Amino acid sequence: MSNTTTPAPETGKKEKKSSSIWQELLVPVLAVVTGLILGAIVIVMSGENPFRAYGALFAGSFGSPVDFFEGIRIYFTTGETAALIKAIYPFTESLVTATPYIFAGLSVAIGFRCGLFNIGAEGQFFIGALSSAFVGYSIKGLPMIIHLPLAISAGILGGALWGMIPGYLKARFGAHEVVNTIMMNWIAFRLSDWLLNGPMKASGFRPVTPNVEASAELPRFFSDPLRFNLGFFLALLAAYLVYWFLFKTTLGFEIRSVGANPDAAKYAGMNIIRNFVLVMFISGGLAGMAGASQVLGVDHWVGQGFSAGYGFDAIALALLGKSHPAGVVLAALLFGFLRSGATDMQSMARIPVDIISIVQGMIIVFIAAPDIIRWFYRIRTAKKEETVLTRGWGS
Amino acid sequence: MTNVLELRGITKRFPGVLANDKIDITLREGKILALLGENGAGKSTLMNILYGLYKPDEGKIIVRGKEVEIQGPNDAIAQGIGMVHQHFMLVPVMTVTENVMLGIEPVKNGVILDKEKVAKRIREISDEYGLEVDPTAYIKDLPVGIQQRVEIIKVLYRQADILILDEPTAVLTPQEVEGLFKIIDTLIKAGKSIIFITHKLKEVLAVADDITVLRLGTVVGSIDPKEATSEILATMMVGRDVNLVVQKQPAKPGEPVLVVEDLFVRDERQHLTVQGVSFDVRKGEVLGVAGVQGNGQTELVYALTGLLPLEAGTIRLLGEPIHHTTPRNILERGVAHIPEDRQRHGLILSFPIHDNMMLCTYYKPPFARGISLQEKAIFSNAEALVKQYDVRTPSIYVNAGNLSGGNQQKVIVAREFSRPIELLIASQPTRGLDVGSIEYIHKQIIKKRDEGSGVLLVSSELDEILALSDRIAVMYKGQIMDIVDADKTSKEHLGLLMAGVHPSEASIKN
Amino acid sequence: MKKFYFVMAALVVASLVITACGGGASSNAFKVGQVTDLGGIDDKSFNATAYAGVEKAVAELGVEGKYLESTQQADYAKNIQQFLDEDTDLIITVGFLLGVDTATAAKANPDTMFAIVDYAYPDCWEGAVEGKDCGSTTEISNVLGLTFSTDQAGFLAGYAAAASTQTGKVATFGGINLPTVNIFMKGYEAGVNYYNAQKGTNVEVLGWSTEAGDGSFTGNFDSLDDGRSFAESFVQEGADIIMPVAGPVGLGSAAYCQESGSCKIIGVDTDWTVSASEYSDIILTSVLKNMNVAVYDAIKAAQSGDFAGGVYVGTLANNGVGIANVAGASDELKSELDAIKQGIIDGTISAQ
Repeated sequence: MSNTTTPAPETGKKEKKSSSIWQELLVPVLAVVTGLILGAIVIVMSGENPFRAYGALFAGSFGSPVDFFEGIRIYFTTGETAALIKAIYPFTESLVTATPYIFAGLSVAIGFRCGLFNIGAEGQFFIGALSSAFVGYSIKGLPMIIHLPLAISAGILGGALWGMIPGYLKARFGAHEVVNTIMMNWIAFRLSDWLLNGPMKASGFRPVTPNVEASAELPRFFSDPLRFNLGFFLALLAAYLVYWFLFKTTLGFEIRSVGANPDAAKYAGMNIIRNFVLVMFISGGLAGMAGASQVLGVDHWVGQGFSAGYGFDAIALALLGKSHPAGVVLAALLFGFLRSGATDMQSMARIPVDIISIVQGMIIVFIAAPDIIRWFYRIRTAKKEETVLTRGWGS
Repeated sequence: MTNVLELRGITKRFPGVLANDKIDITLREGKILALLGENGAGKSTLMNILYGLYKPDEGKIIVRGKEVEIQGPNDAIAQGIGMVHQHFMLVPVMTVTENVMLGIEPVKNGVILDKEKVAKRIREISDEYGLEVDPTAYIKDLPVGIQQRVEIIKVLYRQADILILDEPTAVLTPQEVEGLFKIIDTLIKAGKSIIFITHKLKEVLAVADDITVLRLGTVVGSIDPKEATSEILATMMVGRDVNLVVQKQPAKPGEPVLVVEDLFVRDERQHLTVQGVSFDVRKGEVLGVAGVQGNGQTELVYALTGLLPLEAGTIRLLGEPIHHTTPRNILERGVAHIPEDRQRHGLILSFPIHDNMMLCTYYKPPFARGISLQEKAIFSNAEALVKQYDVRTPSIYVNAGNLSGGNQQKVIVAREFSRPIELLIASQPTRGLDVGSIEYIHKQIIKKRDEGSGVLLVSSELDEILALSDRIAVMYKGQIMDIVDADKTSKEHLGLLMAGVHPSEASIKN
Repeated sequence: MKKFYFVMAALVVASLVITACGGGASSNAFKVGQVTDLGGIDDKSFNATAYAGVEKAVAELGVEGKYLESTQQADYAKNIQQFLDEDTDLIITVGFLLGVDTATAAKANPDTMFAIVDYAYPDCWEGAVEGKDCGSTTEISNVLGLTFSTDQAGFLAGYAAAASTQTGKVATFGGINLPTVNIFMKGYEAGVNYYNAQKGTNVEVLGWSTEAGDGSFTGNFDSLDDGRSFAESFVQEGADIIMPVAGPVGLGSAAYCQESGSCKIIGVDTDWTVSASEYSDIILTSVLKNMNVAVYDAIKAAQSGDFAGGVYVGTLANNGVGIANVAGASDELKSELDAIKQGIIDGTISAQ
């Protein structure tokens, strides 16, 4: 099994002229548009009105401009914030949904950059969430300035160690990371079943963890029901840090070299094995941070079904974002808006949420097979060279 | 005498490139036309048009006086045009017969493959042209020279009478080249016409009836071989005077830089491909390692540079053992390596030139401060090297994969020569390069030697070995047959050693 | 290509128009919204059964009904909020995982009516933080908890199982040891014991002990493989009737019984000869938890202005729980079951 995609932009802005940025964006954008159009066809076939559906999707993800201006007017005339808060609720919810997507997408993307296919982000997400939750609820009486960073670090470290195990197994024994990360997922799922029914179970009968202390919660910027919190900005910061790490440091240079051409990396004296372990550590850490941001920022407790499959969607995000941090952020925002808007679409237009999964799936197909899009829109191929994202089973 | 094939005004444009510009060539019946040109001159494009793989934008193809349209290889075959590719298209685990019938499997009684019929025909063809191929042999068991004959049989089986041979001598020993020329002779006598694509001037002069030279997508001219010399042809190809003989002073060898004793190495498939090799390389000399490809040279170089572990033996650099250390440690001790496969080891094609220019030193000042890459230093280093080594590129931000082979090799040479080196290991440094680039790389290698570095040159081009080396080691089946002084040997002598003839016998025959 | 741009432009314009209209006309009909838990609306138990009650209300009472599926726990609050934004009159939430979010929303929106399936308030224990660890320390006047005495129905199933076993051993297992799960198992065990006392037999129950308060649990509600392996090990221990109280996990057990022909299954929540009809041949009976009835009744009360918060308890008496036909039951067994049912309703027989 080998996974190919068109070459990703390798470095920062300097050498990329604006025209080539459009070139990079063209296929993903057309893939999204085509996915939505095909989604509309599916909606029509199921006997619903696609305009109504996408209207609701749009309203659910961005909110209604009319309500927004009305909210501002009311605020300035009466000082009442309720209408304004209601108006920005959809938009902030989309950002809340996008937050774990950004972290998880970065996790898989950094793996791709090193030629590693981390399918284990979902397991690392769970371990990160559980670690954060544990530090969040078990330690009491700390000030936020200590407790919150501690809880976040616990999530990162938990995910990182969970990711490092398959990294080490690959480095030491050559065991393929795809197999091992899948195995680690199952271990994580069953471990969390056990923890939630036993050691980490809150008192009471429900198989969930206790709520984290207020001092470990990511601060929210508005009152209920708005859940928009610091996590989103941490995600943007993480994206920048990953960008800086990959493109501006020697360690990132090594990682990209190993991913782009392991033979040349070895020739240049780079330690491939060490890079595998390091990247799986970082990748796991980012996935763990996705879990931490969700538990500390949104849910405050962990129960079964804590994740909506962020770790698996993350693979799609990394592909859609061409494994570039900026691309991943854009892709994560897209998924966040789609997922969040789907609630409205489901309610207003009675379209099952599954339609969003179908649209997402089709986008991924078009990204993975860009020739379909190129053929459909008669785009001339700029250059034919292809970069191997991950190497096959045998290598 | 009739023209069996004419191309008239063939033009082919790719985005941004005019690959063929109004090209006219003529192949006379029963003659050999040599198509000569540097890499990127448009030879391959032209042949792919003739073989139906590309569609020309303008121009016509005339076969035996009739204008034809060739839409694909099947049309080409129908017109009697057959192509022997540089890289053989054979299935190693199948027999000769099976390979020949691939794609045109004849059946008897509707379903059963009629292998005997094909095998019989192969024997007939083999006898007729003196090819000496056993139809029942498996491809993987055959030497390269014989595999090439199988390719020729494939073409003849399909009843081609116009044969295109694309760089047919690139993979052959001198003796095998002789054999190929004999076969070509037989083919011509049987009335076949041949287009012979190459960049090796001496071969052209040896076999061609007509010579057409391409440069930058246009026909520079046609010349009668009787009036041509290597120098004239080289000048036509490159567009300027070329110095074919490497100017060098006699070596002044000093202390040994590299001492290798009793080296055994296993390749990636665990075959023992280097079996007890010992030699040394001194400061200020070039030790050439000659041999047909696949006789352990690759693994020898990998072991010296730390890319493969040793099975046994010792390697010393300036007296210090380096056989249990890392590739990085070897690099830091002053070993430069121009790798055999520049696209696999030498470059990261998806990275821009400036990153490839610091691929081995990215972690050191001035390119890094702590873990932070210093882009200014990286860019200025690349700008300087591109200028100094005359890398032809629009900018240093272009990906290495977008450069031509010659310029890719220049990037590697520039990078490796830009740090202090004690030992240069150059493996097939000019493979696939054009005459201009070869001349340049050769000069650089001799320059390093004269600066006092030891040079280990591994090449399967005997001309190159003879031109550059001060001493020559010949490898055969993982062992060194003999090490001889370059001025006391000949191509024929080396050829015998390369074929595994024992040194004592080789000298007697010589 | 041009055509395509036109279509796209049309799509965008149309979506903007619809957005501006704010979701279209809203009718004056009584609005009911159900928020599912993670099982989704097609879970063939729980969420589906509850929604069957909504659909019945739509058909018979003319209410407007819709549902929102939750795909992760963060969706609970979001989906409830969505219905609040739409001015839904009655919001039905399903399952204990929505317990805290439902209470929080109900307190913040006292004018909206809520019903929560399989849960009730007060739900706080000593030391628990209201609104975080639990929903409420008191009853909430605008929330109706819908709970079910499935032990009563489980008792009948246990009696039927004891009467039908060939091996003298019957089994049960659960998904997670929750009150709503083990209540089935408690009644089941009690029913078997009652049979033993009446008939002087010694039928054994595997997988649950009320005395110990513990038994066999898969730890999840989704692994069909677990259902299969649990059934297999019970059969090896000699049981021939199994009651899986674990949602879809039980389908794995049913598949094993059907393939091996060595056991029968007691379905839970719904009549499995209907909802899992492919296994009809090995279904002994089903313990019915008529959430649809409870939900329908709640909607009806809410629409007619008779809604009151508190706790609804489904029992054999009010048909909130029950037992499906027992396959191959003799007339004697049927009349015994009828008599026991009456005894439980009268209070002469204790179901636990």
